[in-house]
Amino acid sequence: MPAGSTLSTHVTLISSDGFEFIILREAAYVAGTIKKMLDPTSAFAEAVTGRCTLGSINGVILEKVCEYLYYNLKHKDAQDVPDMDIPPELCLELLMAADYLQGKPSEALS
Amino acid sequence: MLPGRGRTKIRPPRRGLGTNDVVDFDTTWAILASSLREIHTKNASQLSFEALYRNAYKLVLKKLGEQLYFRVKDFEEAWLTAEVLPRVLADLSTALLVDNAGTSSLTTANERRAAGEKMLMALKKSWEDHNLCMNMTSDILMYMERVYCTDNRKPSVFAAAMAQFRDYVLRAPLPSAPDTKIISVLLSVMLDQIRMEREGDIIDKTLIRSCAYMLEGLYETEEDEENLKLYLTEFEPAFLSATREFYRAEGTSLIQEADAGTFCRHAMKRADEEQDRCRSTLSALTSPKVKLVVDEELIKNNIAIVINMPNGVKYMLDNDRLGELRLVFELISRVDPKKDELRKAVQEIIVELGTEINRSAANPSHGLTVDTTRPEGDKPEGKGKPPADKSLNLQTTAAIKWVDDILELKGKYDTVLNDAFAADQSLQTAFARSFTDFINDFERSSEYLSLFFDENLKKGIKGKTENEVDILLDKGITLLRYIQEKDMFEQYYKKHLARRLLMKRSVSMDAERQMISKMKMEVGNTFTQRIESMFKDMAISEDLNAQYKRHVSQLGDPDPKRADLEVTVLTSTMWPLDTMRPSYRDDEINRPLCIFPSQIERIKHGFEKYYLDKHSGRRLTWQANMGTADLRAYFPEMKGTKKTRELNVSTYAMVILLLFNDLPPGASYSCEEIQDKTNIPTNELTRNLQSLAVAQKGRVLIKEPMSKDVKLTDRFFFNENFYSQFQKIKVGVVTSGNQVEEQSERKDTEKKIDDARVGTIEAALVRIMKQRKELSHQNLVTEAIQQLLFRFRPDPIMIKARIESLIDRDYLARIEDREPPAYRYLA
Repeated sequence: MPAGSTLSTHVTLISSDGFEFIILREAAYVAGTIKKMLDPTSAFAEAVTGRCTLGSINGVILEKVCEYLYYNLKHKDAQDVPDMDIPPELCLELLMAADYLQGKPSEALS
Repeated sequence: MLPGRGRTKIRPPRRGLGTNDVVDFDTTWAILASSLREIHTKNASQLSFEALYRNAYKLVLKKLGEQLYFRVKDFEEAWLTAEVLPRVLADLSTALLVDNAGTSSLTTANERRAAGEKMLMALKKSWEDHNLCMNMTSDILMYMERVYCTDNRKPSVFAAAMAQFRDYVLRAPLPSAPDTKIISVLLSVMLDQIRMEREGDIIDKTLIRSCAYMLEGLYETEEDEENLKLYLTEFEPAFLSATREFYRAEGTSLIQEADAGTFCRHAMKRADEEQDRCRSTLSALTSPKVKLVVDEELIKNNIAIVINMPNGVKYMLDNDRLGELRLVFELISRVDPKKDELRKAVQEIIVELGTEINRSAANPSHGLTVDTTRPEGDKPEGKGKPPADKSLNLQTTAAIKWVDDILELKGKYDTVLNDAFAADQSLQTAFARSFTDFINDFERSSEYLSLFFDENLKKGIKGKTENEVDILLDKGITLLRYIQEKDMFEQYYKKHLARRLLMKRSVSMDAERQMISKMKMEVGNTFTQRIESMFKDMAISEDLNAQYKRHVSQLGDPDPKRADLEVTVLTSTMWPLDTMRPSYRDDEINRPLCIFPSQIERIKHGFEKYYLDKHSGRRLTWQANMGTADLRAYFPEMKGTKKTRELNVSTYAMVILLLFNDLPPGASYSCEEIQDKTNIPTNELTRNLQSLAVAQKGRVLIKEPMSKDVKLTDRFFFNENFYSQFQKIKVGVVTSGNQVEEQSERKDTEKKIDDARVGTIEAALVRIMKQRKELSHQNLVTEAIQQLLFRFRPDPIMIKARIESLIDRDYLARIEDREPPAYRYLA
């Protein structure tokens, strides 16, 4: 991404098995790690291209992650939010993905 | 948020995250280290954040976080020492030489500034780079910070790297001088730049600001404690002491070279500059501290000298330099909430000016030149005063001038107070105290103030609008507030008011009433009670006269020669009758009352009968000295066709003139004969004869020999040749106006007031004791003084004498064996 131009509204997340998810930049920022990854002042490769390859997360999990990112964004300031439906068989992998992605300790369990 | 319902069995992850990979620390670190180098050389866009993050993540998962942490620290240390420090040192050498030499004269200010800026720039740049790199580094090591640092209570990579910058760059010794650290050079360069700005140079403020930011971002310890910022521990003390030094020197030199106004302007400018500097060049944290330093060094140490300079506060006040006074006030407010020095100086000046006014009033001939400029010349006196009276009149003018001068002074200081001293409460009280002091220092203040009111109510308010009158009276009332001996004022006011009322000299009764209500508000009800009852007497008398006239016409005795009578009945306790009594000489006190001519005596009896029928049990005493009479006189030898004139004379003069009715033409009375026939007290007689025979305008009698003074042997003839172009002539009597008292009168008044005070003090003492039953001497005196203070300034000795007298008369008793002495009330 050339410096100085406005940031793209969407970014691409790529799973370890090659699935690409194009999501709102705002939603992607919910995850601390992805946010830092895309930080334009640091200007890492991801920030330049707008594409994040997440080598440790497969497509099934990443889809659920993206769903959560939107879910979190939507209910950012809301109260009494209904629980998101999580298939129990994905729990452990999702927990690990969450640990990997959220970045800041304070956000890890929110 | 993740629902943990355990109905379905949780399957193990299909592929453990990294757990299956074999992680070799050295290979992974090698990748990270080379990436870190790329980051420090600003090639980050080639790197994948995710890959670096995942590598660090794996190391941490493999419990290699500690190793990673220390490797990173080592890497940073090596980088700072090997790459950053030499670059800073390269730009620092020139500036360093200048500072080490210590004598700035070797290089010009410009060179010095340029060298300093270069060094600051280099430091600023390496600091900013370091900051950026460490932000990125801590981003990719985020997982390590979250897991390893938090669990093991290690400072974050970022904080650790900041500390490293502090230790390996800022606190690195100089190669050429191992005792000096870079930071001390940095500080001296910054201070040098600030000094240049203070001396009027233009410097790069943003650059200094960045360096201040840098010092604010660094801490003494790795836990970011606010009060251990390097800015606070290193820079600020140095800055403050340099500032102190600078302003101490500047204050000392300025006080010798500049005048007070310049000093104040400069000090104010400096104070503002320092605040601006904190905002734009340094940190807001320093703002209150540097204010203290400037206040203390530049203002507090010098303000007293400035105020007392020859062109200090006194000069400013004399020349109405309100702007400069405001500056002085603002400056002193910064350092002394009580503003002692300013208060003292202004008070001194007020008292000095006030004493000057007092002195010129006490010595009226001194103020003669001023008096003549007053519009007194066209005063319709019409009295033909003997010249002996001039000095008295002069004193009256002086009295009014005294009040005017004080009002002017007061007006001026009100302006100063409001415009320059922000209506400061403590100064206001101080001013008022000074006014009270010098006004009460002047023993005639009560009398003079009352004369001022008298003059204005008689003439001054003529042709003025209600509003103007209001303002004028208010001004007078302001002075009344300062007068402590209010009973004395009341005495004089009553005396003057009595004359105004009886001689109908008041311009406007509305204004009189307004005056009363103003006094009531200012001093209270009891003060005006008697004055108000004087007005009541006037009103009642008016009704009485009308009724009496009706009564006389109903009698059916229409004697054409009968004189009309108009009587004012005064309640003797309310009116200051004793001051209006004819001035007897000491040997005449027991002289019988004035003998009226028979036709007047008849009318007098008629009225007395009428009045006493209406109000039994009262006693009427006739005050001949206060009245006036209208006569129609026939002058046989007068020029012109009409030979009668109407004369308005005092009652005594009327009595004298009527005597001449019984005298054949050409015959005369001696003064002594007149006195025998009339019983008029000698003083009054002399005065009346003077105005009838000596004064220019109304010479109805001829005196032989013709001289100013009236002797008992002088003879008086009726002046048949009298001529006046006017039909009506007013023959005034010398002392009919309200004037300053002569010395003897004054003593009288004082004595009377002292007598009245005796009663007031005793009443207060009894009142207090009745309530308290027992009280120590000290408390009794204090309380009495408190009660009396609104009337006058009680003299403790006088109070003590009254207590003694009350004990003698068995109102109080000493309590035996009581220490301190105390009294008991005896019912």
